[in-house]
Amino acid sequence: MDFDLGEDAEALRVRLRALIADHMPEGFLGAFTFDPKDLGVTQAFCKTLADQGLLTITWPAEYGGGGGSHWDQTVVREEMWAHHEPRGAQYMGLNWVGPAIMGFGTDEQKQQHLSAIAAGDIIWCQGFSEPDAGSDLASLKTKATEDGDGFRINGQKIWTSYAGMAQWCILAARVGDGQRHEGITMFMVPMDTPGITVRPIKSMLGNHHLNEVFFDDVWAGPEAILGGIGEGWAVIRKALAHERVGIARYARCERLLSALGAELAPVWDKLPASLHAQWMRALIQVRVARLLAYRTVRAQEMGESPDVLASAARIAVTQCDQSVAELLFQAVEDESLESGFNAPLHGAIEDHWRYAQAATVASGTIEVQRMIVSKDLLGATK
Amino acid sequence: MNPVLSDDAIEFGETARKAFTALGDVDVAREAEENPAKRAEVGDMLRSLGIDELDPRDDADVFAAAAALAEAAGRHALPYPVVGAILQRDGVPFALVPDDRTRIDHGDLFDMWNISTIDGSNGTATSAGSGFGSRLGPFVTDLTRGDLASITHESGVDTRYSLVLTGFQILGAADRAVELAADHVTNRIQFGKPISSFQAVQFMLADAAVAVAGLRELAHFTLWRVATDLIPSGVDALALRLHAIDTARAVLRTCQQLHGAAGVCDEYDISVITRHVQPALRLPFGAERTAAEMNTAVQAMGFSGLFEHGGARS
Repeated sequence: MDFDLGEDAEALRVRLRALIADHMPEGFLGAFTFDPKDLGVTQAFCKTLADQGLLTITWPAEYGGGGGSHWDQTVVREEMWAHHEPRGAQYMGLNWVGPAIMGFGTDEQKQQHLSAIAAGDIIWCQGFSEPDAGSDLASLKTKATEDGDGFRINGQKIWTSYAGMAQWCILAARVGDGQRHEGITMFMVPMDTPGITVRPIKSMLGNHHLNEVFFDDVWAGPEAILGGIGEGWAVIRKALAHERVGIARYARCERLLSALGAELAPVWDKLPASLHAQWMRALIQVRVARLLAYRTVRAQEMGESPDVLASAARIAVTQCDQSVAELLFQAVEDESLESGFNAPLHGAIEDHWRYAQAATVASGTIEVQRMIVSKDLLGATK
Repeated sequence: MNPVLSDDAIEFGETARKAFTALGDVDVAREAEENPAKRAEVGDMLRSLGIDELDPRDDADVFAAAAALAEAAGRHALPYPVVGAILQRDGVPFALVPDDRTRIDHGDLFDMWNISTIDGSNGTATSAGSGFGSRLGPFVTDLTRGDLASITHESGVDTRYSLVLTGFQILGAADRAVELAADHVTNRIQFGKPISSFQAVQFMLADAAVAVAGLRELAHFTLWRVATDLIPSGVDALALRLHAIDTARAVLRTCQQLHGAAGVCDEYDISVITRHVQPALRLPFGAERTAAEMNTAVQAMGFSGLFEHGGARS
């Protein structure tokens, strides 16, 4: 038994922290703030990472990546999320669009897209969810109808992050009249294709997080199809597998606990004992969430099925996010209502609370995770 | 990075579970309540498993085997001070005790105990009398303590190991409770179908299972910390105790609830397991005092993780 991530992974952590400290401005809260300059900061940082071979360190070497281990990937996930995702909108392209193209793309598609993603040039958005297809993604209704040698896409996507800033969209649409997984096909289309309309959805999360995307007779040629007609579900499964471990939300939780703890140190003993107790439980909860995530990564590393472990980890990680958000609010009391640079931790606490409210919904609701865990458990007793 | 116990430790735990099952599983606890002398048989069986040669302070592999034994004891509500016996020195078992009295589960089984309070004050206590005979502490005994000396290296070490091994014992009880609840809801028919078909039941069970999975990872991590990093790991041992108490209280409550009225009936194992783990949850003290002790320790020594906390900052 050994919980050391290894020298390489820890050296990578040190390197990433140094780069972040050097390049990211104080009080940076991600690319999706109300300040348009923040997107530019992330795009520049991606270039820095790309120049040093770090942007695609987790990609296989044959696609120009660093061939990083599962633990390197874990460290990247943790450090990026802890520091408000300095890669900004590149997250989607790097984490699964690129790998999906590696797995399912034609040589031409790889040629066209992978180097652009690896260079941090292109922002992708993902068209999965629809107004009537959320947790039940296979019920999606967006249609792709054959037209000449290509397709006309009609339908609506929703909750689409980065749609307002993306140059490309990868979306799932149904070819034919099949049910469930039948006919689902992945298309990659430029966002400036005529017929695509993006409508931002105002939310407590901040700008650019949530959008509706409308497709009205959007043309897609055969070169736009990823993985073949009707093969979209396999691509989605692969995409979801890449996302299985999920966001390392615990890393940001721990960073904020550390930072606010340092600020409160001079008055720590004067804080209510109940807050001390909650804080101790938060430190433990963050540790447990991290360990459950590590258990999932270990299963992947060993080639075991990580599904149930991943669902357990997601439940723990997302609940940790919300309870730490609430604890931090209790600690800063009435200042919790302030936002921006002059708010506690330059607004990071207020930002965290808002963002945490979606933690148990984003990328698969906690209810779906509970269904997976209980099915496994009850199946075992029969 | 490898977060699982060694194969040897897992195998030893399985051997112990088989032996506990062969002796009568949870029925042994029921019998011991009727006839406390039954516990002598348990002691004999533990000695045949090699508990006397199992000193976790020797090395990490033995520690892992001892942890697997403690977990097995919790799973089967074994009526014996397994953690104290594992930590014996020259045949004298160890117990972490409350500040101002020497209250030990199964304290009556040994004439003399090595004791320590949480601050490491230590000495010996002698047993005179029998257990409370209460429903929640049938074998809890008040002993007579001699004068306590201030912390020694041994008392600090024993305190940490005791906290960790008790964490594994509690983990075993919580894990078994989830198994029992899953089995019960699968077999219990209401409204013409197993109650496991109701999503409310499924979700309660899922949350309990995730809580136990988290406790298991934390227990493994803490064992590794204490085995490899003795001095600052006192914080980690307290963190494990706090999380074990919190998790067990919630999980046992859920699993009793899922048993319906059967959850409080001693014919059902869930009731006996819930009762017999109470001393581990309450002695030497409960959750809030543990949190306060952890807070003091974190402010002094920090808390290991991705970022610095408490005393590690200065």
